Amino acid sequence: MSTRWYPIYQRGNPQLRVFLPNFWMKLIRPTEEQPPNVVTFSVSMEMTKYDVRSYLEKIYKLPVVDVRTRIALGETKKDQTYGYITKKDDVKLAYVTLPREESFVFPDFFSEKAEKQAKEEKSLDESKEGFRRFLDRNKKRPGTPGWFSI
Amino acid sequence: MSSTLIKCFNLAKAAGNVTVRRFLAGPMQSWQACSALALQTPLAQMQMHTSPVRRDLMEFFDDKKNWSETEVKVGRAWRTEELRIKSNKDLHQLWFVLLKERNMLMTMEHECNDKMETFPSPERIDKVKISMENLETVVRERNKAYHLLETGETGERPQKPVQNALGLKINYKTCEHALPPFMNLKWIKSRNIGFGGRAVNRFLLKYREKLYNAKRKAKNRSRNEVMMILRRNPNFDLGVLRRQFPDVDVEKLRNEDKVRGHYVPKVGV
Repeated sequence: MSTRWYPIYQRGNPQLRVFLPNFWMKLIRPTEEQPPNVVTFSVSMEMTKYDVRSYLEKIYKLPVVDVRTRIALGETKKDQTYGYITKKDDVKLAYVTLPREESFVFPDFFSEKAEKQAKEEKSLDESKEGFRRFLDRNKKRPGTPGWFSI
Repeated sequence: MSSTLIKCFNLAKAAGNVTVRRFLAGPMQSWQACSALALQTPLAQMQMHTSPVRRDLMEFFDDKKNWSETEVKVGRAWRTEELRIKSNKDLHQLWFVLLKERNMLMTMEHECNDKMETFPSPERIDKVKISMENLETVVRERNKAYHLLETGETGERPQKPVQNALGLKINYKTCEHALPPFMNLKWIKSRNIGFGGRAVNRFLLKYREKLYNAKRKAKNRSRNEVMMILRRNPNFDLGVLRRQFPDVDVEKLRNEDKVRGHYVPKVGV
């Protein structure tokens, strides 16, 4: 059988194994306040609770205590001008409980970004300023190279 | 080169150091070009650029040094010919490496979108996707070869052309059922819906007309194009035209009025 084609479920062992799972999981920032050991994932729509659990345990080697899933309804929006309705896709969210001693805080990725950007802009401004000074100096003697005078 | 890579991977695994990013970052890199012999010593492993394995939720996020970057430089995607020379085990390992990478990238993209930030180097996701597609192609090829050898069939999911409820031809991918067809009442009932009736016939008529018009317009367009080319360039190479527009009768068009330019033809020269 092909890689994406499995026979239907039959009772008993051994069960079929998924050799090349195509499921994805996104770790997302929780919208509501959660206990420190609960992590929110956005997962493939086809994934079941068992899938989520075995995915994390087998692939990421994470200890999982409990998994709860729900399907969040996609936002429906009416167009202001033409009045047609668009709907965003539904997403499956999985709330995974880790052992009590574990705690996870979603990191802040962009705290240093503003600083870095400011630094880059500063250096750009400096080089602009330097070029302007060079132009000013050469205003009365166009075409002279930069090394001609101090 | 690739066997070297496998060895690199196995050695790195044995040492408990696996870099996920390394697999994405192009299979041919300078550090991987070192000979397999040199890698036998633990010193060589020290020279390899590997990061310590992370076994926690931080695997879902990018390296901390990339968090505030505006561009992340990575290699190219894996090609089929590179994957073909790998063992099944290596492909299996690579699949999970790619899977983790994809999860990481999707997580980062989601967070960037949430925070109204630009996601650095979004082409990384495409590269992983291409790699995964190529890997699957290779696995499928092997599956097919194995099945053909063992059973004489490809082992692919069987398909057949059928007509759907609107009478349109679709490619139906067959699937297994717990019940045989004569016992599957739900399926039998669903078949009774069938196409037919005035509305469906009218739809089919118009649908076919649409298809026919598209075809006709395409034909006219290429015919006109050939005529305009001949009008502007009377000495155009007809062989090229015939090759470029196989469905146009170039010989017939040569005598058309439209093909003649706005000049007095030289007669008897």
